[in-house]
Amino acid sequence: MAMASTLHSDRQPDKLRSLGIVALNGMFDEMDAVGVMRQAVAEILPGDVAIVSSFGADSVVLLHIAAQVDPSLPIYFLETGKHFPETLAYVEQLKKQLGLINVTAIHPAPHDLARFDPDGDLWETDPDSCCHIRKTEPLEPITEQFGGWVTGRKRFQTKERGVLPHFELTSDDRIKINPLAYFNDADVAAYKAEHDLPEHPLYSHGYKSIGCAPCTSVVAEGEDPRAGRWRGLNKKECGIHYDFSGAIASPMNAADKYSLFKDGTFVADPFRVWDETMVAGEARYAHVPLPVFLENREAFLANPHPLGLLVSPGDRVEDAEADLGRFVSIAIKFPAFTDGRGYSTARLLTERYQYANELRAVGDILQDQIPLMRRCGINAFVITHKPTREALIENRLPEVNIFYQPVGTSEVPVGTRPYLRRAS
Amino acid sequence: MYRYDEFDAAFVRARTGQFANQVERRLKGEISEEQFRPLRLMNGLYLQLHAYMLRIAVPYGTLRSQQMRKLAHVARTHDRGYGHFTTRQNIQFNWPRLKDVPVILSELASVEMHAIQTSGNCIRNVTTDQFAGAAHDEIIDPRPVGEIIRQWSSLHPEFSYLPRKFKIALNGAPHDRAAIRFHDIGLQATTNGDGDIGWEVWVGGGLGRTPMVAKLINSFVPHEHLLAYLESIVRVYNRYGRRDNKFKARIKILVHEEGLETIKGQVEAEFAEMRGGQLTLPQEELDRISAYFAPPAFSALPDTPVDIAREDILDPVYARWLRHNLNRHVQPGYTSLTISLKPVGGSPGDATAEQMEAVADLAERYSFDELRVTHEQNLVLPHVAIRDLRAVYDGLVAVKLAEGNAGLITDIICCPGMDFCSLATARSIPIAQAISQKFAAPERQKDIGDLKIKISGCINACGHHHVGHIGVLGVEKKGEELYQITLGGDATENASVGKILGPGFDADGVPGAIETLVETYLARRENAQENFIAAYRRLGEAPFKEALYGNG
Repeated sequence: MAMASTLHSDRQPDKLRSLGIVALNGMFDEMDAVGVMRQAVAEILPGDVAIVSSFGADSVVLLHIAAQVDPSLPIYFLETGKHFPETLAYVEQLKKQLGLINVTAIHPAPHDLARFDPDGDLWETDPDSCCHIRKTEPLEPITEQFGGWVTGRKRFQTKERGVLPHFELTSDDRIKINPLAYFNDADVAAYKAEHDLPEHPLYSHGYKSIGCAPCTSVVAEGEDPRAGRWRGLNKKECGIHYDFSGAIASPMNAADKYSLFKDGTFVADPFRVWDETMVAGEARYAHVPLPVFLENREAFLANPHPLGLLVSPGDRVEDAEADLGRFVSIAIKFPAFTDGRGYSTARLLTERYQYANELRAVGDILQDQIPLMRRCGINAFVITHKPTREALIENRLPEVNIFYQPVGTSEVPVGTRPYLRRAS
Repeated sequence: MYRYDEFDAAFVRARTGQFANQVERRLKGEISEEQFRPLRLMNGLYLQLHAYMLRIAVPYGTLRSQQMRKLAHVARTHDRGYGHFTTRQNIQFNWPRLKDVPVILSELASVEMHAIQTSGNCIRNVTTDQFAGAAHDEIIDPRPVGEIIRQWSSLHPEFSYLPRKFKIALNGAPHDRAAIRFHDIGLQATTNGDGDIGWEVWVGGGLGRTPMVAKLINSFVPHEHLLAYLESIVRVYNRYGRRDNKFKARIKILVHEEGLETIKGQVEAEFAEMRGGQLTLPQEELDRISAYFAPPAFSALPDTPVDIAREDILDPVYARWLRHNLNRHVQPGYTSLTISLKPVGGSPGDATAEQMEAVADLAERYSFDELRVTHEQNLVLPHVAIRDLRAVYDGLVAVKLAEGNAGLITDIICCPGMDFCSLATARSIPIAQAISQKFAAPERQKDIGDLKIKISGCINACGHHHVGHIGVLGVEKKGEELYQITLGGDATENASVGKILGPGFDADGVPGAIETLVETYLARRENAQENFIAAYRRLGEAPFKEALYGNG
């Protein structure tokens, strides 16, 4: 069909294609889920559409609609390794009962698990990263193969989804098809009843929205069905639905909760402060004070878990020179913002010893010092001071961004003094 | 002299914008005074007794007439019509309002000036010989290297929060006119065995409450490695300098406590890592910067001596000015002349807006548009044709700047003291005024000859009293101002720290005590050629002590 080729041939979303999407959205009655699905699969993107399904509490409606249109439609199930056994059983049950013949489970990369979540407890300290390695990353190579995706998202599910249409054009020029956009809770129940669809085994136990076992909890009567997802955390989406209206990916939500600023946003911090009860051979995700590390060097080097190093003013970082590569994070302590010893430490680490992992500043840090710290090689900041947090999020640090002297490993700003410009 | 290129101009604009943001946050109350303090200090802004004080950098003491006129404009528009030239070759305004400071800074930026790092615990404005590029005895003009150090040290990210302030001075002639042995780092031009010019590096000098003469840490560092050597020293200082006690935080204490050999070992180890690295200064860049400081287009003039004997008869006041205020120039037919900011009874170092403008006009007309500020709080026209001297003198007379007392007893260095400064424990300006009035008679000053009196209103020694031939230190004792007198200080290559002779004097007693010391010198000197400091060194303190305090 002409419209499909127009939509998919040129990778730049432009006004014309956006208008095409608007027109598509006008073609269907609000409740005509099967019509939307058929149009997408048979007309707009034949052979170029797939579904990602969690096989959760209300996945069955979408899967039923898909089976009516095309039982061989590719369906991907994110086998995160953290599902309830009941969910895995439900996958098999639905495959059989609905006649789905093209369901594929996708798994997280073993090397990512080994590196970032060796003990399987990353969800506890950093659920964003957990979702990332178990959902977003594995899905990425699959996503690239299709021009369109069918989702089961519904307007009523979260505030961010409140204006969800049937067809969306994503920023990377794919089409998301949301046949259930206008369904509410009652519509879902009615559809299930009408077609006598099997419930997820946990639904009757109070689970109204079901994801990975550790991050799913029971919701109370009358509570938002998704309230049981990532309960207690300021998190509503797992990261695979980022494109929708931008609001879902906002770093401002995370900023309220997290104090580690890294790569342009506040993120969850898997690290803890070292305390006396920790043991050299077993500690993980803690910044070990440099003198403690030196005292128990052998035990720390034998420790298989991710560890960080804490360098305080007065510590000689050269004493740990040979072992710097063992640390995934080094924290430089600034007990007072007027204490500038950490700047020398940072330059020694990054320039002389080529340390290239996370280098964070902790302590008394104001927005006026951050540009200087960055120039010295510091790439992460633990910040609780509110105006400084706001300045970071809004990226408006008081900064002089042209430099007279060469500092750091990558500093080749345009216009820098020619005699001080790096050769590289 | 140095002219900003696009880069320098953009840098100063960005810095001005950054500080405007910081001031705005302070005025809105988003940051506390404690948080604002180091930010404003690094932009030259102090909180004084009466108001904010803004200190503007005059890098290596060099100014154009346009810049001097801008300073006059600032004095008139944002201050009370005058400014104060300091011992750091800078200028201070004592009455700006905080909200006006960003405006002043952007005015200054329009004439390639700023207040960056004139205060705060960072590398301060670099200073040098006021006769640089003009003096007859120069090994090298120190200003190109001074400019390169200015650039290297400006907003250095590693060295913006040092344990304490850090001052670098450099001197290009064998005779030290920049007091380099009383700086954190002093650089003295020298030649090695191959005849190459490089730098002696002196470290750990300073005044303040613990005066120290700097120690030689390296006897020859070539230009190309100078920045790496400086960065090595400052890194060692940043890492190991004391931060537990503000009064023991300068590098002089580190050198003193650890010993020169320890510090030298650390510095040389750093230098071994940095040498030949990214801070290596190519000759082409030194040449490029040096081109800005090329000598002006001098006329070929006969080497006419200044006939002072003739003027002694015709115009003794003019003769006096000629005798004391000229410095020998490298170019025949030219001279450098000192404009004394030490009128008898005046405030040392102060100049009014009208005086600044008059001096700017004279510089433009008679000194190739160039001016200098001296660490002795005077101004200099560096390149004046001897045939123009009378015209320049007349111009100075018109604005009351023709005092012929350079280097004499009334050419007193003096800090602002308790009249302005929140740190001061005693007044200093009134003491200087009283002394200069006591010795006002020109004949008497001439008879006494070279004698440097330096006065500080507190132990921080901004008036350099430790290195005065006669030093005066005002302290507070039991609610009274008390002035200690030191003898034998010297800021030159014969560096020494003055010694306290005995109990202090009250304010009224100081001029008389100094008169007693001077009379002792006059009575005991071998001849008129033996100046005060030479006589003191020969005689020792005993006769002076006896004259002041008797035999008891």
